[in-house]
Amino acid sequence: MTNAPGHKSYEVIVIGAGHNGLVTAAYLAKAGKQVLVIERRPHVGGAASTEEVFQGYKANTGATDAGLFLPRIVSDLDLESHGLGWVESPALVFAPQLDGNSLTLWRDPNRSVAEIAGFSKTDADRYPAFLRLVSRLAEVLSLMLTVSPPSLPEIRVGELLPWLRTALKLKSLGEHDMMEFLRFLPMSVADFLDEWFESRALKAAIGSSGVTGSFLGPRSSGTALMLLYQAIHAGKAGFRSSRFVQGGIGRLSQALAEVAIQHGAEICTGLEVSEIILDGNNASGVRLGNGERIDARAVVSSVDPQRTFFGLVGAPHLEVRFVREVKNIRLHSSLARVHLALSGLPSFPGASQAGPGGNLSGHILICPDLDYLERAFDDAKYGRFSSRPLLDIVIPTLSDPALAPPGKHILSIDAYYAPYALQEGGWDEKRGELLDVVLQTLAAYSPGITNLITNTQVITPLDLEREYGLTRGDIYQGQMGLDQILMMRPVPGYGRYRAPVKNLFLCGAGTHPGGGVTGAPGYNAAREIMDLRTD
Amino acid sequence: MMPVEYDAIVIGGGHNGLVNAAYLARAGKKTLVLERRHILGGASVTEEIFPGFKFSVFSYVVSLFRPEIIRDLNLTQHGLMILPLESTLAPLPDGDYLYRGADHYESYRNIARFSPRDADAYEDYSRSMYFMAKAVKYVLGIIPPDPASLHLNDLSGLARMARQFLNLDGDQFYTLVRLMTMSSADFLERWFESEPLMGTLSASGIIGTFLGPRSPGSAYVLLHHYMGEIDGVFRAWGFAKGGTGAIAGAIASSARALGVDIRTNAAVSKIIVQNGQSVGVALENGDEIYARVVVSSLDPQQTFLKLIDPALLPDELVASVRKYIYRGSSGKVNLALDAPPELACLPGPGPHLRGAISISPSVDYIERAYDDAKYGDFSRRPYIDVIVPSMIDPDMAPPGKHVMSCFVQYAPYHLRDGNWDDQREAFGEAVVDTLAEYIPNLKDIILHRQVLTPLDIERTTGLTEGNIFQGELSLSQLFFLRPAPGLAKYRTPIRKTYLCGSSTHPGGGITGAPGRLAALEILKDWQP
Repeated sequence: MTNAPGHKSYEVIVIGAGHNGLVTAAYLAKAGKQVLVIERRPHVGGAASTEEVFQGYKANTGATDAGLFLPRIVSDLDLESHGLGWVESPALVFAPQLDGNSLTLWRDPNRSVAEIAGFSKTDADRYPAFLRLVSRLAEVLSLMLTVSPPSLPEIRVGELLPWLRTALKLKSLGEHDMMEFLRFLPMSVADFLDEWFESRALKAAIGSSGVTGSFLGPRSSGTALMLLYQAIHAGKAGFRSSRFVQGGIGRLSQALAEVAIQHGAEICTGLEVSEIILDGNNASGVRLGNGERIDARAVVSSVDPQRTFFGLVGAPHLEVRFVREVKNIRLHSSLARVHLALSGLPSFPGASQAGPGGNLSGHILICPDLDYLERAFDDAKYGRFSSRPLLDIVIPTLSDPALAPPGKHILSIDAYYAPYALQEGGWDEKRGELLDVVLQTLAAYSPGITNLITNTQVITPLDLEREYGLTRGDIYQGQMGLDQILMMRPVPGYGRYRAPVKNLFLCGAGTHPGGGVTGAPGYNAAREIMDLRTD
Repeated sequence: MMPVEYDAIVIGGGHNGLVNAAYLARAGKKTLVLERRHILGGASVTEEIFPGFKFSVFSYVVSLFRPEIIRDLNLTQHGLMILPLESTLAPLPDGDYLYRGADHYESYRNIARFSPRDADAYEDYSRSMYFMAKAVKYVLGIIPPDPASLHLNDLSGLARMARQFLNLDGDQFYTLVRLMTMSSADFLERWFESEPLMGTLSASGIIGTFLGPRSPGSAYVLLHHYMGEIDGVFRAWGFAKGGTGAIAGAIASSARALGVDIRTNAAVSKIIVQNGQSVGVALENGDEIYARVVVSSLDPQQTFLKLIDPALLPDELVASVRKYIYRGSSGKVNLALDAPPELACLPGPGPHLRGAISISPSVDYIERAYDDAKYGDFSRRPYIDVIVPSMIDPDMAPPGKHVMSCFVQYAPYHLRDGNWDDQREAFGEAVVDTLAEYIPNLKDIILHRQVLTPLDIERTTGLTEGNIFQGELSLSQLFFLRPAPGLAKYRTPIRKTYLCGSSTHPGGGITGAPGRLAALEILKDWQP
């Protein structure tokens, strides 16, 4: 990686070296294109980075889990030969309750069944069938990840043909499961789980993944779909796809960068793109922060659509109707992140095996029941961060001790919900209050944890915007509600990674299929670009 | 062998049951309607709850009634007269108000007081919704095709639907997708900025649902309510002369003229099933009546879990019926008034009293009302849709006096604390207290107050959990999923047994559509 581009012109410039931008760059480079990737931050990865947050402590500053990452990309790009190793924690979710009890859902469903029986015998009996159903339905969704949305309402056979596989898969589910799929698509995760289970703790442990990245409560339509999305590729683990990267998720981004470079791409970090240069209605290059101009036959932006079109292209260059659509993209912050340096491993009553491979090795969820989560969302609706937030916690040092000094730990928290626009005050002033609320909540479930804390870092929605370029702190670059997916994403009529400007493409989470560390938008964008005849 | 007296028995004399019977009779079938109560209409009833004062006890306005049914059954000749509700007034806490009426320019001027941009946008919005409703309306009149089946009828039905929607131009198509998936607040925020306007408009996205204006899926309900049509005037809402009971009355009159026998005070206790087929019904008084076909206008819960021996039902049917969500969320407060109500924001008489008065000052107001209900409390500051029928139809009350009908949300069927019998009066108080903030003379003029909780609605009309639509109008239970896959074409797994109420397509409201569509399917199946 370098600090300055080696040439004045390239075939393709990719703006942003987040994981999607890197996937696009790697595939294009592998196909023989001359690619330059420009990244504003000092290193690659974007929101899939592992950075030194305190001296001697590295944290996954953005995403912590790479369970959704497409296996196809791993094999196409041979990432495992480039240092990518996986950690499959034995525990998926550890859900402590306020009464000292806890529910652990293990990757091994049989162990989970035994645990669940402690809460409800009927739920334990139904759990395997639930996992089977989720797995079957998630398989249908997984087929949709790597095809470009058709440009409805126009019907173009060429665009619809790749969807045939998905349609056939849906039909192959059989009438009963196919109808269940259609029934579940618009459901709330609360209703979905109420049909299956009675235990509140179990429903919360499973259902909280339905609000990932979303400004929605568990009673909102669309959260059942998000649960299924988060279960793509989960396989036997069933309800939630979870895999950590050895050395931190940043290693995934680094492996992608290495592959791209190996195939001839150039990656420049510490450089900002200030403008996408237009020649008439054609993207002809970019201007850097230092004023330098780099030409390109095509420009691909992994940055969110609003920032791309308003920040880099400029609204005056775009049609009024398109501008209005982009302006109306629903971007919402759902979470804030907190990283804690700990002098030792925290204890959670009920976590009988605290060490590596034990109850705490996966996600720790502070969310005793779905009403708790719904109330947390109520706060956010009116412009406050939740006074009793959902905390999705990972202690990566349990599987990767090298991330911190010996015996010490890093604890990373996704705290829901943190709305971008606060009713009172601003995020810079509220940072401390947020930390207090999070620590108070945590301490109620892990007594004594505050004594272990040696350092803290809070990433507010405003920080997500400023530091990671995520407009309004929306980690998915646009909410994944049913109105903003498929051919509606990022805006209707532009669901196939193109823009109204010729030779300008989008490849970030703001495009289909959406967010999470999947690499799918980057993959699809690369395919679309390669399928085109460049003139 | 018991004598088969009838071709068809229809259980329930609500408006859908009556429409169903009338259509069967019109095709020459000897039909009997059995109604539990002493009066017909189900949730469309007019009752003199207080001497001299006639209340549209439950439902109170109509707009979605199918014009083809009015024509086919000659309902106007049988006394159906709809008087238009021409305006909506939203009084605001600061003493101001937002008024929208039949006069286009008056509405424009009123909205412009809050936002000139919104006034312009309102015209575009109305036009857009008009086209949307037209595009989708045809769905109200079709039998849902089964997407899992390979039958020619279903495939061609699906193809026709696909063509219908894909023929929309881009903008209309995307607007339709948005209407089907967004929250009413988000959808409206694309058009408007002023709170009073968005509050009042978003209110029609929550009627009869357990959703808030910020819940995805509420924009669909907005569209559903926009599909109204009276005398060809789209989206107009009206009040039936004589109350909503007069609608049932007109249908009953037409049905009788077509030869339908109607018995009231005739509660059905059981559907008699033999060899996988319905052969008749048993009444609570022990009488048994036999027919070739049995049609239930009751919801699936009542029909399958109360009227039929569960041992006779396939497991999958029972499972589906149990999954169907009711979740009643509304209550009703009916008031007999000694004098006209005086609105603080617009004192004195005026056309505004002949329209709807909507307590919906902002989206957040309604959303907070919803928040209360989510956790099992009735809304402390509820959304209320008020009409004063006697202002439009003076026969509803003695001269100078009035009846006031208040539809209230939210009143969740399942309460966190206690039960509805204990909470009824407190609920009534909350409603009257809220109204009194906008109608200062209200408490002084109330002669009588009738409070109907979801439990009362369920007890009186048989609507499970008091859900006015016989089941939530959410995407998971609409169209070919309503009330469940396999029950969506009015037929059931038991031969000669049909459903024809609002729990079937196209859902609730006083439309008559399920009753009619079910009749058409029954006639298709008929063997000589």
